[in-house]
Amino acid sequence: MDDKLRRIYVPMTESGFYILYCLQRPQHGYGVSQQVRQMTGGEVVIGAGTMYGSLSKMEKDGLIAFVAEEDKRRLYQITALGREVLETELRRIERLYKNSKGVYLDE
Amino acid sequence: MSEKKTWIRFFTIADYEEEESWLRNQHQKGWKLLRMTPPCFYVFERCQPEDVVYRLDYKNSTEDSEYLQMFRDYGWEYCGQCFGWLYFRKSVSEMSLEQEGEIFSDDASKVDMIDHIVKTRMLPLLIIFFACVIPQFFRALDRGVSGWLIFWVTMLALYLYLFIHCGGKLRRLKAKYKNE
Repeated sequence: MDDKLRRIYVPMTESGFYILYCLQRPQHGYGVSQQVRQMTGGEVVIGAGTMYGSLSKMEKDGLIAFVAEEDKRRLYQITALGREVLETELRRIERLYKNSKGVYLDE
Repeated sequence: MSEKKTWIRFFTIADYEEEESWLRNQHQKGWKLLRMTPPCFYVFERCQPEDVVYRLDYKNSTEDSEYLQMFRDYGWEYCGQCFGWLYFRKSVSEMSLEQEGEIFSDDASKVDMIDHIVKTRMLPLLIIFFACVIPQFFRALDRGVSGWLIFWVTMLALYLYLFIHCGGKLRRLKAKYKNE
């Protein structure tokens, strides 16, 4: 991962994180938004314009790749580079979570 | 034959939020947008008054079928395009959450749209302004008072108004999105 990608994607927006997370299996944009809505109990609703823009940008930056077309819907899946970004982000969030629980205060 | 009416209304590239509310308002009064005819003609058709949200997306390119399909999946009805703007609508009765009435769900994507407008609309206008309007204005000024001078003075004033209005408005919108 180069510095430019690190600047854009670490940390990620909440929508960006969920989109990348959901694309660990091939899906189209609306499918991702339905899954995110379910995962977050309707708290995170990604709009059509935001979804389209995020997918285009992530594809351009090589985080996800177009895998197939199904009834005019483009299916995307995460790439090796995308996984690297996702894992970096997961480590950051885990650290944030652990620290917020005060693990270091107890020591 | 259904009843139709044509409205002439001018919205600048920075007034899309006002345009959305105006279209919603028309639909509430029983006039639904049928199509847009450039530069600023809105053709409406009589319909049942209903609360329908209108949203504009700026793409500045021909719409591709995957893009429109995604909006259809989200329940947006496409009502046409005009000067790079795409018009969508969705009935409030079909929404279970308020957020379903938005096409942009985070500030980053709203700011992206504004940056895209500035890059593809404001910059070309600025280039025309400095490369054409200003030199033509001074050339006409040298030749003394004539019809051309009046024409270029009008152009100069129009451009200045548009720059100040649109530039200021887009900056304010951007600040608003970032503070939300």
